[in-house]
Amino acid sequence: MSHSQPIAGDFLSLLAEHRLEPGAPAASAAAPVQTQATTVFGFHCAEGVLMAGDRRATAGNVIVTDRVEKIIEIDCTSVLAIAGVPATAFEMARVLQTSFEYYRRSQLQPLSLPARVRALARLLRENLPMTMQGIGIVVPLFAGVDHAVTPPEPRIYFYDPLGAQFQAVGYAASGSGSGTIRSILSFQERYGQPRPSQMGLRDAVRFASRLLTTASEFDSATGGINPDTETYATVKLLKASGVETITDAQQKEFLHD
Amino acid sequence: MTEEPYRWLEAVANRREYVHEQLKGGTPVLAASLAEGILLLGVGGGQSKVFELFDRHALAGLGHPADIERIRQAAIDAAHVEAFTRAPEDVSLRRLVGFGLGPQLKTNFEQIFSAPFLVELLLAELGPEPGRDLFFRLHFDGSYQTQFGGVIVATSDAAAEAAAQKWLGEMIKSNTDRTQAADLLLQAWWRLAENKSFTEALPDEAARRAGWREATKGKEIEIGWLARQSSRPARYQAPTAAELGL
Repeated sequence: MSHSQPIAGDFLSLLAEHRLEPGAPAASAAAPVQTQATTVFGFHCAEGVLMAGDRRATAGNVIVTDRVEKIIEIDCTSVLAIAGVPATAFEMARVLQTSFEYYRRSQLQPLSLPARVRALARLLRENLPMTMQGIGIVVPLFAGVDHAVTPPEPRIYFYDPLGAQFQAVGYAASGSGSGTIRSILSFQERYGQPRPSQMGLRDAVRFASRLLTTASEFDSATGGINPDTETYATVKLLKASGVETITDAQQKEFLHD
Repeated sequence: MTEEPYRWLEAVANRREYVHEQLKGGTPVLAASLAEGILLLGVGGGQSKVFELFDRHALAGLGHPADIERIRQAAIDAAHVEAFTRAPEDVSLRRLVGFGLGPQLKTNFEQIFSAPFLVELLLAELGPEPGRDLFFRLHFDGSYQTQFGGVIVATSDAAAEAAAQKWLGEMIKSNTDRTQAADLLLQAWWRLAENKSFTEALPDEAARRAGWREATKGKEIEIGWLARQSSRPARYQAPTAAELGL
Protein backbone atom coordinates (compact mmCIF):
# COMPACT_ATOMS: atom_id res chain seq x y z
CA MET A 1 0.00 0.00 0.00
CA SER A 2 3.05 2.27 -0.16
CA HIS A 3 4.26 4.11 -3.26
CA SER A 4 7.72 2.58 -3.57
CA GLN A 5 8.97 -0.53 -1.85
CA PRO A 6 11.86 -0.31 0.63
CA ILE A 7 14.21 -3.28 1.06
CA ALA A 8 12.11 -6.03 2.67
CA GLY A 9 12.51 -5.98 6.42
CA ASP A 10 15.10 -3.18 6.42
CA PHE A 11 13.94 -0.50 8.81
CA LEU A 12 16.57 2.05 7.77
CA SER A 13 15.40 1.95 4.16
CA LEU A 14 11.81 2.35 5.40
CA LEU A 15 12.93 5.46 7.33
CA ALA A 16 14.73 6.72 4.24
CA GLU A 17 11.54 6.32 2.22
CA HIS A 18 9.84 8.63 4.71
CA ARG A 19 12.96 10.88 4.83
CA LEU A 20 13.27 10.15 8.53
CA GLU A 21 16.69 8.45 8.64
CA PRO A 22 18.77 9.48 11.65
CA GLY A 23 21.25 12.07 10.37
CA ALA A 24 24.67 12.92 11.71
CA PRO A 25 24.76 16.50 13.02
CA ALA A 26 27.40 18.80 11.57
CA ALA A 27 30.47 19.15 13.74
CA SER A 28 31.70 22.53 14.87
CA ALA A 29 35.06 23.57 16.26
CA ALA A 30 33.13 25.55 18.86
CA ALA A 31 31.24 22.50 20.04
CA PRO A 32 31.17 22.08 23.82
CA VAL A 33 33.02 19.21 25.47
CA GLN A 34 30.91 16.15 24.74
CA THR A 35 29.57 13.79 27.34
CA GLN A 36 31.34 10.42 27.47
CA ALA A 37 30.25 7.15 28.99
CA THR A 38 32.66 4.43 30.13
CA THR A 39 33.38 1.55 31.12
CA VAL A 40 31.74 -1.63 29.82
CA PHE A 41 32.79 -5.25 29.48
CA GLY A 42 31.46 -8.73 28.88
CA PHE A 43 32.76 -12.21 29.58
CA HIS A 44 31.60 -15.77 29.22
CA CYS A 45 30.53 -17.32 32.50
CA ALA A 46 29.04 -20.72 33.25
CA GLU A 47 25.48 -19.50 32.63
CA GLY A 48 26.03 -17.45 29.47
CA VAL A 49 27.54 -14.06 28.75
CA LEU A 50 27.63 -11.49 31.52
CA MET A 51 27.65 -7.86 30.32
CA ALA A 52 28.34 -5.13 32.85
CA GLY A 53 29.05 -1.44 32.94
CA ASP A 54 29.55 1.36 35.41
CA ARG A 55 26.95 4.11 35.51
CA ARG A 56 29.07 7.25 35.20
CA ALA A 57 28.94 9.79 32.39
CA THR A 58 31.56 12.56 32.26
CA ALA A 59 32.18 15.72 30.25
CA GLY A 60 35.84 16.62 30.56
CA ASN A 61 36.57 16.64 34.28
CA VAL A 62 32.90 17.02 35.21
CA ILE A 63 30.84 14.04 36.39
CA VAL A 64 27.52 14.52 34.59
CA THR A 65 25.66 11.68 36.29
CA ASP A 66 26.21 8.37 38.06
CA ARG A 67 22.93 6.90 36.88
CA VAL A 68 23.49 6.03 33.20
CA GLU A 69 22.36 2.65 31.85
CA LYS A 70 25.07 1.57 29.44
CA ILE A 71 24.04 -2.06 29.07
CA ILE A 72 20.97 -2.02 26.86
CA GLU A 73 18.73 -4.97 26.02
CA ILE A 74 18.13 -4.68 22.29
CA ASP A 75 15.76 -7.63 22.18
CA CYS A 76 15.43 -10.97 23.94
CA THR A 77 18.54 -12.37 22.22
CA SER A 78 20.91 -9.40 22.07
CA VAL A 79 22.55 -6.89 24.38
CA LEU A 80 24.48 -3.73 23.51
CA ALA A 81 27.11 -2.21 25.80
CA ILE A 82 27.96 1.39 24.99
CA ALA A 83 31.17 3.30 25.56
CA GLY A 84 31.63 6.72 24.03
CA VAL A 85 29.22 9.56 23.42
CA PRO A 86 25.79 8.65 24.84
CA ALA A 87 23.86 10.88 22.43
CA THR A 88 25.10 8.83 19.49
CA ALA A 89 25.16 5.50 21.29
CA PHE A 90 21.58 5.73 22.60
CA GLU A 91 20.37 6.61 19.10
CA MET A 92 22.23 3.56 17.74
CA ALA A 93 20.55 1.40 20.39
CA ARG A 94 17.13 2.78 19.45
CA VAL A 95 17.75 2.14 15.75
CA LEU A 96 18.85 -1.42 16.50
CA GLN A 97 15.90 -2.11 18.82
CA THR A 98 13.38 -0.95 16.24
CA SER A 99 15.22 -2.56 13.31
CA PHE A 100 15.45 -6.03 14.87
CA GLU A 101 11.81 -6.05 15.96
CA TYR A 102 10.71 -4.63 12.62
CA TYR A 103 12.55 -7.39 10.75
CA ARG A 104 11.18 -10.12 13.02
CA ARG A 105 7.60 -8.94 12.73
CA SER A 106 7.59 -8.09 9.04
CA GLN A 107 9.58 -11.08 7.79
CA LEU A 108 8.11 -13.54 10.32
CA GLN A 109 11.57 -14.74 11.36
CA PRO A 110 14.30 -13.33 13.61
CA LEU A 111 17.37 -11.64 12.16
CA SER A 112 20.43 -13.91 12.18
CA LEU A 113 23.33 -13.13 14.51
CA PRO A 114 25.75 -12.21 11.67
CA ALA A 115 23.17 -9.74 10.33
CA ARG A 116 22.72 -8.23 13.81
CA VAL A 117 26.46 -7.83 14.21
CA ARG A 118 26.71 -6.16 10.79
CA ALA A 119 23.76 -3.88 11.50
CA LEU A 120 25.75 -2.30 14.32
CA ALA A 121 28.87 -2.14 12.13
CA ARG A 122 26.81 -0.28 9.52
CA LEU A 123 25.70 2.31 12.08
CA LEU A 124 29.31 2.80 13.19
CA ARG A 125 30.41 3.28 9.58
CA GLU A 126 27.64 5.82 9.03
CA ASN A 127 28.94 7.65 12.10
CA LEU A 128 32.41 7.85 10.53
CA PRO A 129 32.42 11.65 9.93
CA MET A 130 31.69 12.29 13.61
CA THR A 131 34.29 9.72 14.64
CA MET A 132 36.96 11.23 12.40
CA GLN A 133 36.32 14.68 13.86
CA GLY A 134 36.82 13.32 17.35
CA ILE A 135 33.27 13.92 18.49
CA GLY A 136 30.42 11.44 18.52
CA ILE A 137 32.75 8.46 18.83
CA VAL A 138 31.17 5.20 19.97
CA VAL A 139 33.06 1.94 20.66
CA PRO A 140 30.40 -0.59 21.65
CA LEU A 141 30.31 -4.24 22.60
CA PHE A 142 27.59 -6.51 21.36
CA ALA A 143 26.42 -9.89 22.65
CA GLY A 144 23.95 -12.04 20.80
CA VAL A 145 22.68 -15.59 20.75
CA ASP A 146 23.82 -17.67 17.79
CA HIS A 147 20.90 -19.89 16.78
CA ALA A 148 22.84 -21.40 13.88
CA VAL A 149 24.55 -23.82 16.28
CA THR A 150 22.93 -26.54 18.37
CA PRO A 151 22.38 -25.82 21.19
CA PRO A 152 22.23 -22.03 20.64
CA GLU A 153 25.14 -20.17 22.23
CA PRO A 154 25.67 -16.55 23.29
CA ARG A 155 28.65 -14.80 21.72
CA ILE A 156 30.52 -11.52 22.35
CA TYR A 157 31.67 -9.07 19.67
CA PHE A 158 33.72 -5.92 19.92
CA TYR A 159 34.19 -3.16 17.37
CA ASP A 160 36.68 -0.51 16.42
CA PRO A 161 35.37 3.05 16.01
CA LEU A 162 35.23 2.65 12.22
CA GLY A 163 32.92 -0.36 12.38
CA ALA A 164 35.23 -3.37 12.09
CA GLN A 165 33.80 -6.23 14.12
CA PHE A 166 35.65 -8.98 15.97
CA GLN A 167 34.43 -11.95 17.92
CA ALA A 168 35.83 -12.18 21.44
CA VAL A 169 36.86 -15.64 22.59
CA GLY A 170 36.47 -15.17 26.33
CA TYR A 171 35.91 -11.51 27.10
CA ALA A 172 35.91 -7.96 25.73
CA ALA A 173 36.02 -4.52 27.30
CA SER A 174 35.63 -0.97 26.06
CA GLY A 175 35.94 2.55 27.42
CA SER A 176 38.53 4.43 29.44
CA GLY A 177 38.68 1.85 32.23
CA SER A 178 38.92 -1.10 29.87
CA GLY A 179 42.71 -1.45 30.11
CA THR A 180 42.53 -2.33 33.79
CA ILE A 181 39.59 -4.65 33.27
CA ARG A 182 41.17 -6.50 30.34
CA SER A 183 44.36 -7.03 32.35
CA ILE A 184 42.46 -8.56 35.27
CA LEU A 185 40.26 -10.67 33.00
CA SER A 186 43.34 -11.92 31.13
CA PHE A 187 45.06 -12.81 34.39
CA GLN A 188 41.99 -14.50 35.84
CA GLU A 189 41.30 -16.45 32.66
CA ARG A 190 44.89 -17.72 32.53
CA TYR A 191 45.79 -18.21 36.19
CA GLY A 192 42.62 -17.72 38.19
CA GLN A 193 40.59 -20.29 40.03
CA PRO A 194 37.81 -20.38 39.11
CA ARG A 195 38.21 -18.92 35.64
CA PRO A 196 35.53 -16.41 34.64
CA SER A 197 34.09 -18.95 32.19
CA GLN A 198 33.60 -21.38 35.10
CA MET A 199 31.88 -18.92 37.43
CA GLY A 200 28.24 -19.31 38.38
CA LEU A 201 26.00 -16.24 38.32
CA ARG A 202 26.66 -15.20 41.91
CA ASP A 203 30.46 -15.39 41.55
CA ALA A 204 30.38 -13.75 38.12
CA VAL A 205 28.35 -10.76 39.37
CA ARG A 206 30.60 -10.35 42.38
CA PHE A 207 33.68 -10.57 40.11
CA ALA A 208 32.18 -7.98 37.71
CA SER A 209 31.52 -5.57 40.60
CA ARG A 210 35.09 -5.93 41.80
CA LEU A 211 36.42 -5.35 38.28
CA LEU A 212 34.56 -2.04 38.11
CA THR A 213 35.69 -1.05 41.60
CA THR A 214 39.30 -1.71 40.63
CA ALA A 215 38.95 0.17 37.33
CA SER A 216 37.47 3.17 39.16
CA GLU A 217 40.59 3.39 41.32
CA PHE A 218 42.74 4.03 38.25
CA ASP A 219 40.29 5.91 36.01
CA SER A 220 38.27 8.89 37.20
CA ALA A 221 35.78 8.47 34.32
CA THR A 222 34.76 5.06 35.61
CA GLY A 223 32.19 5.06 38.38
CA GLY A 224 32.65 2.31 40.89
CA ILE A 225 30.25 0.49 43.15
CA ASN A 226 29.06 2.41 46.19
CA PRO A 227 26.59 0.54 48.43
CA ASP A 228 26.28 3.64 50.66
CA THR A 229 24.64 5.60 47.85
CA GLU A 230 22.93 2.51 46.39
CA THR A 231 25.10 2.87 43.28
CA TYR A 232 25.58 -0.46 41.60
CA ALA A 233 26.64 -1.55 38.15
CA THR A 234 24.30 -2.31 35.28
CA VAL A 235 24.53 -6.06 34.80
CA LYS A 236 22.73 -8.27 32.30
CA LEU A 237 23.11 -11.98 31.69
CA LEU A 238 22.55 -13.21 28.15
CA LYS A 239 21.58 -16.85 27.98
CA ALA A 240 20.39 -18.94 25.06
CA SER A 241 16.90 -18.57 26.48
CA GLY A 242 16.96 -14.78 26.81
CA VAL A 243 18.22 -11.76 28.73
CA GLU A 244 18.12 -11.50 32.51
CA THR A 245 18.70 -8.23 34.32
CA ILE A 246 20.62 -8.50 37.58
CA THR A 247 18.93 -5.91 39.77
CA ASP A 248 20.56 -3.62 42.33
CA ALA A 249 18.98 -5.72 45.08
CA GLN A 250 20.53 -8.91 43.69
CA GLN A 251 23.93 -7.25 43.36
CA LYS A 252 23.68 -6.02 46.94
CA GLU A 253 22.84 -9.52 48.11
CA PHE A 254 25.65 -11.14 46.10
CA LEU A 255 28.21 -8.60 47.34
CA HIS A 256 27.32 -9.26 50.97
CA ASP A 257 27.60 -13.06 50.71
CA MET B 1 -18.92 4.73 -18.04
CA THR B 2 -18.06 6.11 -14.60
CA GLU B 3 -18.75 9.74 -15.50
CA GLU B 4 -22.44 8.92 -14.94
CA PRO B 5 -23.29 8.70 -11.20
CA TYR B 6 -25.66 5.79 -11.67
CA ARG B 7 -23.02 3.79 -13.52
CA TRP B 8 -20.51 4.50 -10.77
CA LEU B 9 -22.93 3.35 -8.07
CA GLU B 10 -23.68 0.25 -10.05
CA ALA B 11 -19.97 -0.47 -10.47
CA VAL B 12 -19.38 -0.11 -6.73
CA ALA B 13 -22.34 -2.37 -5.96
CA ASN B 14 -21.00 -4.98 -8.39
CA ARG B 15 -17.62 -4.70 -6.77
CA ARG B 16 -19.14 -5.24 -3.30
CA GLU B 17 -20.96 -8.30 -4.57
CA TYR B 18 -17.76 -9.63 -6.14
CA VAL B 19 -15.79 -9.22 -2.90
CA HIS B 20 -18.53 -10.92 -0.85
CA GLU B 21 -18.54 -13.82 -3.30
CA GLN B 22 -14.74 -14.17 -3.17
CA LEU B 23 -14.70 -14.11 0.64
CA LYS B 24 -17.27 -16.87 1.03
CA GLY B 25 -14.61 -19.59 1.15
CA GLY B 26 -12.66 -17.91 3.95
CA THR B 27 -12.75 -19.38 7.44
CA PRO B 28 -13.39 -17.10 10.42
CA VAL B 29 -10.94 -15.57 12.87
CA LEU B 30 -11.86 -14.80 16.46
CA ALA B 31 -10.50 -12.93 19.46
CA ALA B 32 -11.41 -12.66 23.13
CA SER B 33 -10.36 -10.28 25.86
CA LEU B 34 -9.49 -12.25 29.00
CA ALA B 35 -8.22 -11.33 32.44
CA GLU B 36 -4.62 -12.24 31.55
CA GLY B 37 -4.53 -10.98 27.98
CA ILE B 38 -6.07 -11.13 24.54
CA LEU B 39 -6.43 -14.43 22.71
CA LEU B 40 -6.63 -14.48 18.90
CA LEU B 41 -7.39 -17.61 16.95
CA GLY B 42 -7.72 -18.83 13.37
CA VAL B 43 -7.26 -22.08 11.51
CA GLY B 44 -4.93 -21.98 8.52
CA GLY B 45 -1.65 -23.14 7.09
CA GLY B 46 0.63 -21.59 9.72
CA GLN B 47 1.47 -17.86 9.85
CA SER B 48 -1.42 -17.10 7.53
CA LYS B 49 -4.24 -15.89 9.78
CA VAL B 50 -2.92 -14.39 13.03
CA PHE B 51 -0.04 -11.93 13.22
CA GLU B 52 1.89 -9.70 15.58
CA LEU B 53 1.87 -6.03 14.55
CA PHE B 54 3.61 -4.21 17.36
CA ASP B 55 4.34 -4.48 21.11
CA ARG B 56 0.66 -4.58 22.19
CA HIS B 57 -1.01 -5.01 18.81
CA ALA B 58 -2.08 -7.98 16.74
CA LEU B 59 -4.11 -8.69 13.63
CA ALA B 60 -6.16 -11.64 12.42
CA GLY B 61 -7.87 -11.88 9.09
CA LEU B 62 -9.47 -13.94 6.40
CA GLY B 63 -9.34 -13.42 2.67
CA HIS B 64 -6.71 -13.51 -0.02
CA PRO B 65 -3.30 -14.17 1.58
CA ALA B 66 -1.58 -11.58 -0.64
CA ASP B 67 -4.05 -8.89 0.41
CA ILE B 68 -3.77 -9.78 4.10
CA GLU B 69 -0.02 -9.59 3.67
CA ARG B 70 -0.11 -6.11 2.09
CA ILE B 71 -2.29 -4.75 4.88
CA ARG B 72 -0.21 -6.46 7.56
CA GLN B 73 2.95 -4.95 6.09
CA ALA B 74 1.40 -1.48 5.86
CA ALA B 75 0.31 -1.68 9.51
CA ILE B 76 3.74 -2.89 10.67
CA ASP B 77 5.51 -0.15 8.68
CA ALA B 78 3.27 2.57 10.10
CA ALA B 79 3.55 1.29 13.68
CA HIS B 80 7.36 1.06 13.62
CA VAL B 81 7.86 4.46 11.98
CA GLU B 82 5.53 5.96 14.59
CA ALA B 83 7.37 4.20 17.43
CA PHE B 84 10.75 5.36 16.17
CA THR B 85 9.84 8.97 15.46
CA ARG B 86 7.78 9.38 18.64
CA ALA B 87 7.69 6.51 21.17
CA PRO B 88 6.36 2.93 21.31
CA GLU B 89 3.66 4.16 23.72
CA ASP B 90 2.32 6.45 20.98
CA VAL B 91 1.42 3.58 18.67
CA SER B 92 -2.35 3.28 18.91
CA LEU B 93 -4.84 1.17 17.04
CA ARG B 94 -7.25 4.09 16.79
CA ARG B 95 -4.74 6.12 14.78
CA LEU B 96 -3.43 3.10 12.86
CA VAL B 97 -6.89 2.12 11.61
CA GLY B 98 -8.73 5.43 11.72
CA PHE B 99 -6.09 7.49 9.91
CA GLY B 100 -4.18 4.78 8.05
CA LEU B 101 -5.67 1.45 7.10
CA GLY B 102 -9.34 2.50 6.98
CA PRO B 103 -8.92 5.43 4.57
CA GLN B 104 -6.48 3.46 2.40
CA LEU B 105 -8.91 0.52 2.11
CA LYS B 106 -11.79 2.89 1.29
CA THR B 107 -9.77 4.66 -1.40
CA ASN B 108 -8.78 1.35 -2.91
CA PHE B 109 -12.35 0.04 -2.82
CA GLU B 110 -13.70 3.06 -4.65
CA GLN B 111 -11.06 2.98 -7.37
CA ILE B 112 -13.15 0.70 -9.50
CA PHE B 113 -10.53 -0.02 -12.14
CA SER B 114 -8.06 -1.50 -9.63
CA ALA B 115 -8.42 -4.86 -7.91
CA PRO B 116 -10.19 -4.60 -4.53
CA PHE B 117 -8.71 -5.96 -1.31
CA LEU B 118 -10.28 -9.32 -0.50
CA VAL B 119 -10.05 -9.15 3.29
CA GLU B 120 -12.05 -9.09 6.48
CA LEU B 121 -9.94 -8.22 9.51
CA LEU B 122 -9.95 -7.84 13.22
CA LEU B 123 -7.26 -5.92 15.08
CA ALA B 124 -6.54 -5.94 18.79
CA GLU B 125 -4.79 -3.56 21.18
CA LEU B 126 -3.89 -4.79 24.65
CA GLY B 127 -4.93 -2.45 27.45
CA PRO B 128 -3.93 -2.36 31.11
CA GLU B 129 -7.16 -4.21 32.00
CA PRO B 130 -9.73 -6.24 30.02
CA GLY B 131 -12.23 -3.36 29.90
CA ARG B 132 -9.63 -1.24 28.10
CA ASP B 133 -8.66 -3.82 25.50
CA LEU B 134 -9.58 -2.29 22.15
CA PHE B 135 -10.81 -4.21 19.11
CA PHE B 136 -11.34 -2.93 15.59
CA ARG B 137 -13.42 -4.89 13.10
CA LEU B 138 -12.15 -3.64 9.76
CA HIS B 139 -13.95 -4.43 6.49
CA PHE B 140 -12.70 -4.64 2.91
CA ASP B 141 -14.28 -1.26 2.05
CA GLY B 142 -12.48 0.57 4.86
CA SER B 143 -15.47 0.80 7.19
CA TYR B 144 -14.91 -0.34 10.74
CA GLN B 145 -16.48 -0.83 14.16
CA THR B 146 -14.72 -0.49 17.50
CA GLN B 147 -15.31 -2.34 20.74
CA PHE B 148 -13.75 -2.35 24.19
CA GLY B 149 -13.21 -5.82 25.69
CA GLY B 150 -15.44 -8.81 25.10
CA VAL B 151 -15.32 -11.10 22.09
CA ILE B 152 -14.97 -10.24 18.42
CA VAL B 153 -15.40 -12.39 15.32
CA ALA B 154 -14.58 -11.78 11.66
CA THR B 155 -16.33 -13.80 8.95
CA SER B 156 -17.73 -13.12 5.49
CA ASP B 157 -21.33 -13.37 6.76
CA ALA B 158 -22.51 -10.51 8.98
CA ALA B 159 -25.50 -12.39 10.47
CA ALA B 160 -23.45 -15.47 11.38
CA GLU B 161 -20.74 -13.23 12.78
CA ALA B 162 -23.21 -11.44 15.08
CA ALA B 163 -24.72 -14.74 16.25
CA ALA B 164 -21.31 -16.25 17.00
CA GLN B 165 -20.24 -13.13 18.84
CA LYS B 166 -23.42 -13.18 20.95
CA TRP B 167 -22.97 -16.87 21.82
CA LEU B 168 -19.32 -16.44 22.72
CA GLY B 169 -20.15 -13.35 24.78
CA GLU B 170 -22.47 -15.49 26.88
CA MET B 171 -20.03 -18.40 27.19
CA ILE B 172 -16.78 -16.53 27.96
CA LYS B 173 -16.89 -15.04 31.45
CA SER B 174 -14.42 -12.81 33.24
CA ASN B 175 -12.82 -15.83 34.93
CA THR B 176 -12.54 -18.00 31.80
CA ASP B 177 -8.93 -19.05 31.41
CA ARG B 178 -6.93 -19.09 28.19
CA THR B 179 -7.37 -22.78 27.43
CA GLN B 180 -11.12 -22.73 28.08
CA ALA B 181 -11.46 -19.63 25.92
CA ALA B 182 -9.47 -21.20 23.07
CA ASP B 183 -11.71 -24.28 23.26
CA LEU B 184 -14.83 -22.09 23.06
CA LEU B 185 -13.42 -20.06 20.16
CA LEU B 186 -12.71 -23.30 18.33
CA GLN B 187 -16.26 -24.51 18.96
CA ALA B 188 -17.56 -21.26 17.46
CA TRP B 189 -15.06 -21.55 14.61
CA TRP B 190 -16.38 -25.04 13.83
CA ARG B 191 -20.02 -23.87 13.75
CA LEU B 192 -19.13 -20.95 11.47
CA ALA B 193 -16.85 -22.95 9.18
CA GLU B 194 -19.56 -25.57 8.72
CA ASN B 195 -22.23 -22.88 8.17
CA LYS B 196 -24.22 -24.14 11.14
CA SER B 197 -26.58 -21.95 13.10
CA PHE B 198 -26.08 -20.54 16.59
CA THR B 199 -29.78 -19.80 17.02
CA GLU B 200 -31.06 -23.36 16.79
CA ALA B 201 -30.33 -25.89 19.54
CA LEU B 202 -26.58 -26.41 19.68
CA PRO B 203 -25.06 -29.85 20.16
CA ASP B 204 -23.68 -30.51 23.63
CA GLU B 205 -20.15 -29.48 24.56
CA ALA B 206 -18.60 -32.89 23.89
CA ALA B 207 -20.08 -32.96 20.40
CA ARG B 208 -18.93 -29.40 19.67
CA ARG B 209 -15.45 -30.31 20.85
CA ALA B 210 -15.41 -33.44 18.71
CA GLY B 211 -16.65 -31.27 15.84
CA TRP B 212 -13.76 -28.80 15.90
CA ARG B 213 -11.23 -31.59 16.45
CA GLU B 214 -12.45 -33.37 13.35
CA ALA B 215 -12.68 -30.17 11.30
CA THR B 216 -9.13 -29.04 12.17
CA LYS B 217 -7.47 -32.37 11.31
CA GLY B 218 -4.58 -31.73 8.89
CA LYS B 219 -4.82 -27.98 9.51
CA GLU B 220 -2.93 -25.71 11.86
CA ILE B 221 -4.64 -23.94 14.73
CA GLU B 222 -3.01 -20.51 14.78
CA ILE B 223 -3.04 -18.82 18.15
CA GLY B 224 -1.87 -15.36 19.10
CA TRP B 225 -1.59 -14.26 22.72
CA LEU B 226 -1.04 -10.70 23.95
CA ALA B 227 0.06 -11.13 27.55
CA ARG B 228 -1.07 -8.43 29.98
CA GLN B 229 1.70 -9.12 32.50
CA SER B 230 5.22 -9.18 31.08
CA SER B 231 8.57 -7.59 31.82
CA ARG B 232 9.25 -7.16 28.10
CA PRO B 233 7.70 -4.50 25.84
CA ALA B 234 6.73 -7.04 23.15
CA ARG B 235 3.69 -8.84 24.57
CA TYR B 236 2.87 -11.11 21.65
CA GLN B 237 3.40 -14.86 21.83
CA ALA B 238 2.33 -17.62 19.48
CA PRO B 239 1.64 -20.70 21.63
CA THR B 240 0.73 -23.94 19.91
CA ALA B 241 -2.54 -25.74 20.56
CA ALA B 242 -0.58 -28.42 22.42
CA GLU B 243 1.05 -25.79 24.66
CA LEU B 244 -2.44 -24.59 25.56
CA GLY B 245 -3.44 -28.14 26.40
CA LEU B 246 -6.02 -28.40 23.62
